[in-house]
Amino acid sequence: MSKPTSLFVIFFSLFIMSEAVFEDQVGKFDWRQQYVGKTLFAHFDSHSQSSNKLFLATDKNIFASFNSRTGDLLWRHVDKVGPEGTIDILVLHGQDALMVVGGGRLLRSWDTNMGGLNWEAVLDTGSFQAACFVAIQDTVKHVAVLKKAAISLHYLTNGHQKWVENLPDSDTVQYQAVYSGGEVEVYVLGVVPNSHLTIIAYSLEDGEIIKQVTWSVEAPWLSSVESSCVVIGQGVLMCVDPATLALYTLPIQAEEAPQFNQILLQSLDLEVSLGFQPVLVSSQPHPARSPISEFFLQLGPDHHVLLQLNADGYTIAYVTPFFFFFTSFLFPLQACDINLFSADSGRRLLDTTVIFPLDLNGGKPFKLYVHAFLKKDDSVDYRVLVQTQDHALTFIQQPGRVVWTREEALADVVTMEMVDLPLTGTQAELEGEFGKKADGLFPMVLKRLSSQVILLQAWLAHLWKLFYEARKPHGQVKNEVTIETLSRDEFNLQKMMVMVTASGKLFGIDSKSGSILWKHYLENVQPNAVFKLIVQRTTAHFPHPPQCTLLIKDKDTGLASLHVFNPIFGRKSHIAPPALPRPILQSLLLPVIDQDYAKVLLLVDDQYKVTAFPSTKNVLQQLQEMASSIFFYLIRSDQGNLSGFRLRKDLSTERIWEVVLPTEVQKIVAVNGKRPNEHVHSQGRVMGDRSVLYKYLNPNLLAVVTESTDAHPERAFVGVFLVDGVTGRIIHEAVQRKARGPVHFVHSENWVVYEYWNTKSRRNEFSVLELFEGTELYNSTVFSSLDRPHLPQVLQQTYIFPSPITTMEATLTEKGITSRHLLVGLPSGAILSLPKMFLDPRRPEVVTEHSREENLIPYAPEMPIRTEWFINYNQTVARVKGIYTAPSGLESTCLVVAYGLDIYQTRVYPSKQFDVLKDDYDYVLISSVLFALFFATMISKRLAQVKLLNRAWR
Amino acid sequence: MWLHVRLSEVCLFLQAMFILACCFSDMESGPIATSGSVQPNGDRFKIEGRAIVPGVKTQDWISSARVTVEGEEYIGFLRTDGSFVVNDVPSGSYVVEVISPGYKFEAVRVDITSKGKMRARLVNFIKTSEVIRQPYPLQLRSSGPHTYFMKRETWGWTDFLMNPMVMMMVLPLLIIVLLPKVVNTNDPEMRKEMEQSMNMLNPNPELPDVSEFMTKLFSGSKSSSSKAIGGSKASGRPAVKRRNYCNWSCHGNYNTIFFKRAFSFVFCK
Repeated sequence: MSKPTSLFVIFFSLFIMSEAVFEDQVGKFDWRQQYVGKTLFAHFDSHSQSSNKLFLATDKNIFASFNSRTGDLLWRHVDKVGPEGTIDILVLHGQDALMVVGGGRLLRSWDTNMGGLNWEAVLDTGSFQAACFVAIQDTVKHVAVLKKAAISLHYLTNGHQKWVENLPDSDTVQYQAVYSGGEVEVYVLGVVPNSHLTIIAYSLEDGEIIKQVTWSVEAPWLSSVESSCVVIGQGVLMCVDPATLALYTLPIQAEEAPQFNQILLQSLDLEVSLGFQPVLVSSQPHPARSPISEFFLQLGPDHHVLLQLNADGYTIAYVTPFFFFFTSFLFPLQACDINLFSADSGRRLLDTTVIFPLDLNGGKPFKLYVHAFLKKDDSVDYRVLVQTQDHALTFIQQPGRVVWTREEALADVVTMEMVDLPLTGTQAELEGEFGKKADGLFPMVLKRLSSQVILLQAWLAHLWKLFYEARKPHGQVKNEVTIETLSRDEFNLQKMMVMVTASGKLFGIDSKSGSILWKHYLENVQPNAVFKLIVQRTTAHFPHPPQCTLLIKDKDTGLASLHVFNPIFGRKSHIAPPALPRPILQSLLLPVIDQDYAKVLLLVDDQYKVTAFPSTKNVLQQLQEMASSIFFYLIRSDQGNLSGFRLRKDLSTERIWEVVLPTEVQKIVAVNGKRPNEHVHSQGRVMGDRSVLYKYLNPNLLAVVTESTDAHPERAFVGVFLVDGVTGRIIHEAVQRKARGPVHFVHSENWVVYEYWNTKSRRNEFSVLELFEGTELYNSTVFSSLDRPHLPQVLQQTYIFPSPITTMEATLTEKGITSRHLLVGLPSGAILSLPKMFLDPRRPEVVTEHSREENLIPYAPEMPIRTEWFINYNQTVARVKGIYTAPSGLESTCLVVAYGLDIYQTRVYPSKQFDVLKDDYDYVLISSVLFALFFATMISKRLAQVKLLNRAWR
Repeated sequence: MWLHVRLSEVCLFLQAMFILACCFSDMESGPIATSGSVQPNGDRFKIEGRAIVPGVKTQDWISSARVTVEGEEYIGFLRTDGSFVVNDVPSGSYVVEVISPGYKFEAVRVDITSKGKMRARLVNFIKTSEVIRQPYPLQLRSSGPHTYFMKRETWGWTDFLMNPMVMMMVLPLLIIVLLPKVVNTNDPEMRKEMEQSMNMLNPNPELPDVSEFMTKLFSGSKSSSSKAIGGSKASGRPAVKRRNYCNWSCHGNYNTIFFKRAFSFVFCK
């Protein structure tokens, strides 16, 4: 039995190869953009003069290298998500980049040239505090890592530990900084908040505490070394006290116990802005040498002072007032200046001012990374990397030229929608002809003629443009996409992707080219906000502009706000959204439209009161009429409670059902209905014996996935409940024993596919549930949840999937005729297009005549993964978080956007391109055959004539 | 309506999967795995190995590759010489994989006992307890680049000419054109001979031709015959048609499956 089965599988998989990409299609309709996330550490490669590399470590646990001339990613290393992969520090020395990862878990050294690892060392447990290079005689050989209770020294060449020492009194003293000035000692600075400062000197050779230099300095004003102190000059600790507005200096390397020397800011004629905590900034250009003795003192949000420590180490020379971001008060925040100052003289270097315009729709700049270098003629030049609050990186060259910009907010896309592009003027004109009421025969004919003339005009203009452009040299012809030139294409394949990122920045991206057409930064979005994007009005209702609404909800308080905007231009709409004083529990978009063709959005607050948006009289009237047929559900996963409500005429609600899943046993992980824009073309399946098995197509069906609270591999389970959202009736329950999450699932048509981890066999498994009404349909015209006496027949089958998965989605086409595929995101970054045919619970174990006629693939326990089915070939999408599918104007084509760290857009053809000519359609062959036939008939006709004539003459 | 769902009442719907699990329930031969629950204070071990892509320099592929243990549960990176270490892994059984967008590597299952003994074996998701030992520290050799693309069907003259359909068309054509040239039809004797041989083929000239009979039948009584055709369509034809479509689909055209379904659905209605 097994042999024919495998043969069959091979055979079937051969002819379901339709999904594969051809090599010449690479980049034709797909694109990928790679991102790294919010920058935490950035370093320029100063190792060689000509090098133009930039190294970034980000909050997404990524270490990446960029080409600083173009902003292109050279390589990127994606570590584990979460605290185990966080990058605590990144320091660069020569070709090596050193990184402490996971809160002091690992120490890594990278070869920045090759993008490979030099070594990785496991550090002792304990939370990470600080790290620094340690040099002896101008060569850096070691790195010191300070933990909460220990300090260790590692060799740079192989990562081996030279010595590790426990820090004395680590339960009372908070050790926060480590300093080495190129001597034979390593200093560790610790503080007992508001009491005293501790300095310990360790010998570089063996980690002995050099006894003489372990002292405590009285410092009742000091609470944290990290935030208020820096080391400058020849080992002088400089601290700032925001309370007394004074600077304190202390020589670290002094022989006997020193005391802090106080310098009042007043004595330097400096004033701190009200309510601002002064910040010190220093710089140590090379780890083998001591830091430079000039330092910055930030006195206000945009007021900095450059100060210099005099040679005696106790007095400060007032160098210059320094406005870091000199913003003109007349035009608040339209442009920023960056100036370069000489640290020796404190004077501003001439011709070094960079003015760079700020994007009005972006955030304010908050961090600069400067790369200064000497040019060939010994003048100073520099480049600046500006990081703004919306995570964007802008690389600027003198004089203020923006070399490149990276929108790193796109590394964390939360939700997205695809919106149809508007019609062009002529297209709208033509469409308008059909929309209006008929006003007589003659005007109609005239209208038709005029629109035809317009079409002809447009065509001629197009021809002229083609001709005109053909004469120009090739490079000059630019077809850049701008918002103005955007219009719908023939098959509606080009759409506007509206992307919402976790940072609160919204993007409008052209799906064809991937270029960002608009961006809008919502400034006061909380970091833990959840978003829901709703398309209220599409582009189909000209002259009303399309309208999207973004529901932003604070996860802790539940309070929500609405942002209404035009998805094509990104502009905020003038429509005032309703005020939402109470926490919002649920939102639902009704198919009801107001007189302006906007769909009605209902928001349910914690008192079960409903707010409608828009809430015009017309809408409220419609709602009253429909109230008895509007149902919605609420989930309280903390109470294991799933309840259904019905709308009353006065926009209050009544609870009509409740399902309680005891939280001691299992918790609700996810609830998912069907997509409202999904079409199902065929009502049933034809079986081998010519009878029809009708699908159970309940539009109100909810799939509820639960996981057991008991995590023991023997007792863990995953449950799937199919609940009718109107009546609360449980249609089906399925339990997978010895299984645990994370559960990924897709609910569509009459099936639910879910994936879980089998704890017993240690493998991932796919299970499919399909619901059928049976061979007879109860009420074929309309489906009502209230009138379905028979429970559906449920079929289930389970398969082994040889890889973990990260996300799953089903393809979607306009009419639902095309067969469905599942798009599965794998941890490798590949997106697998798996034909739904493989996940069919009717796959037989024994092949019969009927099953063969139905084209059922014989059951095989293991699901195949073929690299030909990867729709994104080698363009992997790291950490796929979601896959968005949208129908296009062509039935065969489904638009796919996969987002995670990267964004990948492509088209898939689940049943091949049956409605358009293929890419490789051979026009030459078909026309040559046509011509050949034509000439053959001509010639043979002539020959026949001659022959007839000859015969007649005979 | 209040519905309380209790776990004890939950009925089992384990079908094929359950059978499978029963067949291969002999799990205890491998080390006991608790890959799900990680003890925070338990011993941590490291998985070591080396990945090789034959004929390719390491710097050309290691920057885009990484080592994943059980999905993304633990991640390791490749050193400049292709070797790797995944640190901080508790005891258990894991699938270790080198992931590279360019090159294919076989996954390996690594078992770590609670005492830190390591064992590598082939991944077998069906017979999970089967042990086919692999070398440890891991030696992962790439079997070449991934094949992501399908080949386009190329078109050549020879393909066209050697096609049986074309052969079947061209040969009779040749015969029709060439035979009259070879045999001189103008010769009256020859013509007579041919007519005779034609009569031989048609032994009984009185018997009506089948095709003639059919045309007569249908043109004679239009109303009744059309009904008959309709009836035959409903009963006999679909089977034939379906067979045809089935054959088509076997030729590699996937769309026809959908067409077939659509057709058969219409017929059955």
